[in-house]
Amino acid sequence: MTEEMVRADNVHKSFGSLEVLKGIDLVVRSGEVCCVLGPSGSGKSTFLRCVNHLEKINAGKIFVDGDLIGYHERGGKLHEMKDSDVAKQRRAIGMVFQRFNLFPHMTTLQNVMEAPCRVKRENKSEVRDRAAALLERVGLGSKIDAYPGMLSGGEQQRVAIARALAMRPKLMLFDEPTSALDPELVGEVLDVMKDLARDGMTMLVVTHEIGFAREVGDNVVFMDGGVVVEQGAPAEIIGNPKHERTKAFLSKVL
Amino acid sequence: MSVPSQTERVRPEAIKAVPVRRPGRWLAIAVIAILVAMFLHLIFTNDQFRWSFIFSSYEPGKRGVMFTEPVLEGLRGTLLLTVTSMVIGVVLGVLIAIMRLSDNWILRTVAFGYTWFFRAVPRLVLCVLFGNLNILWTRIGFGLPFDQQIGKLFGINDLNAQFYSIKATDLLAGFVAGMLALGLSEAAYMAEIVRAGIQSIDPGQAEAATALGLSRGQVLRRVVLPQAMRVIVPPTGNEVIAMVKDTSLVAFVPVTYELFFQLNAIKARTFVVLPVLIAAVIWYLLICTVLMVAQYFVERHFGRGYGTAGRARQRLRAIQAEQGSSAVEGGAT
Ligand SMILES: Nc1ncnc2c1ncn2[C@@H]1O[C@H](COP(=O)(O)OP(=O)(O)O)[C@@H](O)[C@H]1O
Ligand SMILES: [Mg+2]
Repeated sequence: MTEEMVRADNVHKSFGSLEVLKGIDLVVRSGEVCCVLGPSGSGKSTFLRCVNHLEKINAGKIFVDGDLIGYHERGGKLHEMKDSDVAKQRRAIGMVFQRFNLFPHMTTLQNVMEAPCRVKRENKSEVRDRAAALLERVGLGSKIDAYPGMLSGGEQQRVAIARALAMRPKLMLFDEPTSALDPELVGEVLDVMKDLARDGMTMLVVTHEIGFAREVGDNVVFMDGGVVVEQGAPAEIIGNPKHERTKAFLSKVL
Repeated sequence: MSVPSQTERVRPEAIKAVPVRRPGRWLAIAVIAILVAMFLHLIFTNDQFRWSFIFSSYEPGKRGVMFTEPVLEGLRGTLLLTVTSMVIGVVLGVLIAIMRLSDNWILRTVAFGYTWFFRAVPRLVLCVLFGNLNILWTRIGFGLPFDQQIGKLFGINDLNAQFYSIKATDLLAGFVAGMLALGLSEAAYMAEIVRAGIQSIDPGQAEAATALGLSRGQVLRRVVLPQAMRVIVPPTGNEVIAMVKDTSLVAFVPVTYELFFQLNAIKARTFVVLPVLIAAVIWYLLICTVLMVAQYFVERHFGRGYGTAGRARQRLRAIQAEQGSSAVEGGAT
């Protein structure tokens, strides 16, 4: 048995009176790729954002690599973490967004170098070499000095992946990384993600790319209405769904 | 032979059409030309302007009114007042804008109250008010608030827990009073400009930076503010230029170390009205020209990553279109 990288125990999250997550249980083991499927509005993004504490959960617990996210537990009581401690936890968790969210006033190289230089205060020339190598790895070695506005969507998303990797995370979160892309650009981003998965990165991926989930996923989770409806091996969930809701969803996206 | 394929078609001749006539435009230009000529005629044929009074010598043995010592002194005062009050305005304005966007309702309310007050009170009134505050308090200091009252509670008469204090007339006379009146008022306007700038940035930017582990301060300094500057700089340019002119209000503090006051004094002494006003206009025009050039460069600096974007995207589209059409051609043959 490999160790658990992510463990969510009965996670609840509400926005005002709207309960978005109604008790999510989920485990992602080290080196695994877990794909989260589900209709729009089912709480997938919200769950992902809870994992690195961009949202505070109302009940339940989330552990990443054994550490409780967002709180210290002392004498049976939870204490809110200081901002700086939360930031420290986030360093180990990379996140890639649907809309890329690259910093438009920085070149791609500066985008990738920003966090290692500012947050970890690493040696600048070392970071520069590493950032250049990362951009090379995602196939953008020639676009080091370009601003994000000059790049295509697929290129921007690959820079965003390199930017997250520059912090050497032990876990990567992807929130529909290819949903904002033109169809012909989806492949290049998925290729980078497959490459990452082959290298043993632990990944939690929200996606509508069923093919990707089937091919790369070790585990598929189907969410609807703030609960996990079913989860298991991709072949099982995608090829032979048990629940009506899963069947209905898959018949629409396949 | 039904439809000819793309390769066989000849590109038609480029369109060379006769442009639409626009007589209204020509009429407008003619009217403007006549008005300009009339204006020039008014200026250059009228001795009342007394250009020599303005530029070369306003009294025997003295320089033109623009360049006499008191006027240059006043110019220095105006520039110094503009710079210092804008620095106060920008620094305090950013602070208040950040407070206004805070999660904490007390900070939000304080920031709101500040902008409410200083936007409501006219600058002229503020200038007079700050010039007279020393009537309310004779000494101003930093230290324990209510020190005398607290001292009495514990039976100590005349407890003085002020670490540092200064006579109000020293602090709030003249230049400093004018600077504070203008700077504090400016902060209220700058706070609104900065807030609008920060709010114009996609929340995804702060989110991405936070997710990378940047602290709140770093998110603001490194990611949000540099982008917000694009929205903040143009109205701030307006504010600086307005401030150059509003410095003339400090005459009511009263401060004499200021451009318009000095020119006015000459007007009062020599009874030459118009040329003095023209001299003032020329100085203000010169200052604002320099400021506008400066603004151009500041805007260019904060526009990096944007200005090129449109052009680059166009180029990309052109390349794609080229490749697209060649693909079609390839398919057709
Ligand atoms: N910040 C927020 N405030 C209020 N409601 C929100 C917020 N974020 C998400 N929601 C709501 O939570 C529900 C789930 O959203 P989301 O997690 O984005 O779904 P998904 O990613 O599965 O499409 C939606 O109904 C959405 O309107
Ligand atoms: Mg979503």
